[in-house]
Amino acid sequence: MPSLQSIFTEVGFGHFLVLGAVLFAIGVAGVLMRRNTLIIMMSIELMLNAANLTILTFARMHGDLGGHSFAMIVMAVAAAEVAVGLAIVVAIFRGRRHVDVERMNLLKH
Amino acid sequence: MTGNRFVMLLSTVIALAIAVLLTGRAAAQPQAPIDAADRAPQVLTNPTRSATPAGKTVSKRDVIQSPSASAPITAIGKRTRGGLVAAFWGFAILVVVGAVFVITRKNLIAAVMGMVGTFFALAALYMLLYAHFLAIIQMLVYAGAIMVLFVFVIMILNKPEDEPYAVTGRAGKALAGLAMAYLVFRIGSVLVDVPSTVTAAQEAAPAKTAQGYDWGSTAGVGWNLFNDYLFPFEAVSLLLLIAVVGSIAIARPLKDDDAAEPVAGAGGH
Repeated sequence: MPSLQSIFTEVGFGHFLVLGAVLFAIGVAGVLMRRNTLIIMMSIELMLNAANLTILTFARMHGDLGGHSFAMIVMAVAAAEVAVGLAIVVAIFRGRRHVDVERMNLLKH
Repeated sequence: MTGNRFVMLLSTVIALAIAVLLTGRAAAQPQAPIDAADRAPQVLTNPTRSATPAGKTVSKRDVIQSPSASAPITAIGKRTRGGLVAAFWGFAILVVVGAVFVITRKNLIAAVMGMVGTFFALAALYMLLYAHFLAIIQMLVYAGAIMVLFVFVIMILNKPEDEPYAVTGRAGKALAGLAMAYLVFRIGSVLVDVPSTVTAAQEAAPAKTAQGYDWGSTAGVGWNLFNDYLFPFEAVSLLLLIAVVGSIAIARPLKDDDAAEPVAGAGGH
């Protein structure tokens, strides 16, 4: 019989990939549920990290170092995104005194 | 309060999805050893093979080889992989707990600390994947620079949330939970197609690169980055320059625009 024990004693690449998927799903949940812009940006960081984990797992699977280069580029893009995003958050906060996405509907009306 | 309960429910759903997925993998996993065990007696009792004298020697060699080829793999796996398996589960739990912490905490600093825990655990998982250089970069860039950036902005803002979760009603939350469960299921069902049994070739440490560098080392990744990925590297440098200039332009105090003489030159209209 396939024992539940073999899940925990045999860790394959699928485990890493499922972990990446779960981390990505948690990030999506954070983006959808929270109203604070900073939490939403942290959730975006979680999703980028999940993508990186998946990329590195596939790089290990195929023995291709290109995945490492790509993951590094993803990290650089994430850093640039955080810098610009936090600048936008600070700019919004300076004018409106809050960072609540539910109340950022100036363009809607 | 209902939001907190909902998040707990959501994490339970996600955990259940993992369990279901992994059970599916476990059902597929022991197939290979059983197949190998079945195949060896089949060769032995094959009437066409055993009828010929040449076939007998071949089958005998198969029988001798198949246990000696399959047994050391599992033995090595059981012996040396125990610590690595424990490390994987420990850091995987840390990753998930930190991520759930990020999306549930009302206190922003606590959320950032959860994020840092997730990043450190991810760096450890990169180590398990032989990505040494990327693990160090992960610690420096994410757990160092980006965390400091977030903490800085939180300290500047320093305003507690009055209503942290989006108000969409009970139906909206149920819909969101269902959508999340569906998303996890879809991603997971794609990943089930990845071969579940770990072969000896995958188990072994990765070979050195064609240039003789260790796989995943700084030299190996650098060679790859500056040869195969030179153009994306240069594009990223341009992107970072634009990001720096853009963030300064956006975050600059507004009063500079309507100020008088000293900042008129810096305005650059």
